[in-house]
Amino acid sequence: MGIQTCSGAISLSRDLESEATKFYQTLAQTFEKEKELFLAFAKENEKYTKQIERAYYGVITDAIEGCFAFDLDPEDYRFKNTLVKDAGYAEAVAEALMMEETLLKFYRVAAEQSKHLMADVPRAFLSVAKKRSERLSKLKSLLEK
Amino acid sequence: MALLEEPIKGIKEVKNYINGEWVDSKGKIVDVVNPATGKVMGKCPISTKEEINAAVEAAKEAFPDWRRTTPLARSRCLFRLKELLEENFEEISRIQTMEHGKCIDESRGETRRGIENVEVACGIPTLMQGYYSEDIASGIDEWVIPTPMGVFGIIGPFNFPFMIPLWSAPYAVATGNCIVIKPSSEVPFSQMKLAELAEEAGFPPGVWNVVNGGRTVVDGMLEHKDIVGITFVGSTPIGKDVIYKRCGETGKRVIAQCGAKNFMVIMPDCNIKATVPALMTSFFGNAGQRCLAGANLLIVGEDEKFYNSFMEEVTNMSSRIRMGYGMDESIQMGPVRDKEKRDNIMGYIEIGIKEGAKLRLDGRKPKVEGGYPDTCFVGPTIFENVTTDMKIGNDEIFGPVMSVFRAKTLDEAIRICNASPFGNGHAIFTQNGRSARDFQYNVVSGNVGINIGIVAPVAFFPFSGMKDSFFGVLHTQGQEAVRFFTESKVIIQRWF
Repeated sequence: MGIQTCSGAISLSRDLESEATKFYQTLAQTFEKEKELFLAFAKENEKYTKQIERAYYGVITDAIEGCFAFDLDPEDYRFKNTLVKDAGYAEAVAEALMMEETLLKFYRVAAEQSKHLMADVPRAFLSVAKKRSERLSKLKSLLEK
Repeated sequence: MALLEEPIKGIKEVKNYINGEWVDSKGKIVDVVNPATGKVMGKCPISTKEEINAAVEAAKEAFPDWRRTTPLARSRCLFRLKELLEENFEEISRIQTMEHGKCIDESRGETRRGIENVEVACGIPTLMQGYYSEDIASGIDEWVIPTPMGVFGIIGPFNFPFMIPLWSAPYAVATGNCIVIKPSSEVPFSQMKLAELAEEAGFPPGVWNVVNGGRTVVDGMLEHKDIVGITFVGSTPIGKDVIYKRCGETGKRVIAQCGAKNFMVIMPDCNIKATVPALMTSFFGNAGQRCLAGANLLIVGEDEKFYNSFMEEVTNMSSRIRMGYGMDESIQMGPVRDKEKRDNIMGYIEIGIKEGAKLRLDGRKPKVEGGYPDTCFVGPTIFENVTTDMKIGNDEIFGPVMSVFRAKTLDEAIRICNASPFGNGHAIFTQNGRSARDFQYNVVSGNVGINIGIVAPVAFFPFSGMKDSFFGVLHTQGQEAVRFFTESKVIIQRWF
């Protein structure tokens, strides 16, 4: 089922961040050598959720197209945490990279779709997209170590 | 999507809030029905004349002390109220969805707009300052002090149960007056919650009162000698012939914000991709139940290709609107408030067909998501070939019905807009600055939109209205509300 409403898009963002948080917490438990980095990612995800919710609750108004802002298919962005218990480090980081690319795509698409509507919301999406883009570089560098 | 949790469980009883106490009414009790689910969610009293009199008496008693409370101290109560509203933001929003039927995004938008008025009124220490001139004659000074007046009545409508009383209430109490709010008995819960928070914020007993009910309470306000002014939002017949007229007879100040039939004027150079979603919100948001809703779509020009492609976009998007219970976040349009209103809208659709308009999209058999009864639902409806002599193009239908007109030129479009007895929220969609300027200059409308489908002024601007859409002088919100709730005391001083 597609998502057209702001409320639906914000909830999807919250769900995606929550899944990503759980994923990094698992990685932190599994791979001691990058524990701090993965926990930092998990914490940042919670911050992104708050940032987006704050933007949404701050500017939501019935006068702008809150119910007609998006055309998102959640299935395009949901990732399954398929990491098996004894997966190797490289495999885990590769999965994290895939997840981050999906999230980056979500935030860019959501920002583009809502750009005519409530400026603070697409700005928040873009801000998180930028951070995610930086995170991709960090994850890639882990693979090169 | 899964439903959000409902904040009201079972059947909630509504009480009156008078003199700082929650009191049962002796009046008749009516059911409050959630229009989306059809379930009874509460019981609301239709209060008696004695009860409205008791509230006014309490407010009158509270007035001298509240007036003497410093503006800073009064604004602190409002600051606390603002914080409490933020803390309860989601609950308040969900209550509105339950009692009114609007989607959760719309309810949250309403909550935010209401809170913004509290925020603006927090600035009352500067907002209500007077002014001073030294030496208006040799050795004589003159100044003006805006002073509070006493007790005001605030009569709320059903379509924005939380926000609309907040266009007035924060300014009234911030300036040192006391208030009696009468919410619509169809949607009393968000005002009940607001009064609970006002109590928690520390407004003294009698400053903020709520009396639920109907005509008896309104008559009680209109007749009461100690009510100095009334703000009202509702239909034109009631606003003009009852509220405005009787306030005039009894010497009360009045703001009567009334009906509308807003035109959305489409120029061929508009940004179609951005315009169509704006029109969806305008015509079908809140199920069309707002005085700033688009009602008539007026397409300018003789370019058939543009007309056909534009209408195709509008029809496609309208036909895909998901209807259901607003607690489901995927829902884009909820029900109208009750069956009577639905039947009225259905009646207008029949009239449109009989008048010869072309029914391009028929909302009479709506598909309701989630298996809810369709008792109060009307789907998006579009009529083409509507002309100025048709009832559907002139009467306020207050539902999700779009009537499509055409005009050869912008001048003709403006003439059509101005021929309407209403002047509330006309808008133009164009990329051309000259067209926009001509429209905003010439159209007779209290609120004018340029690429905005719902021309709702924010809290620090007056919520205007012209012709049959507004009766009074000053408006709710912002500086004008501060002026409405105060009268000028002029002092001229000379010392011998």
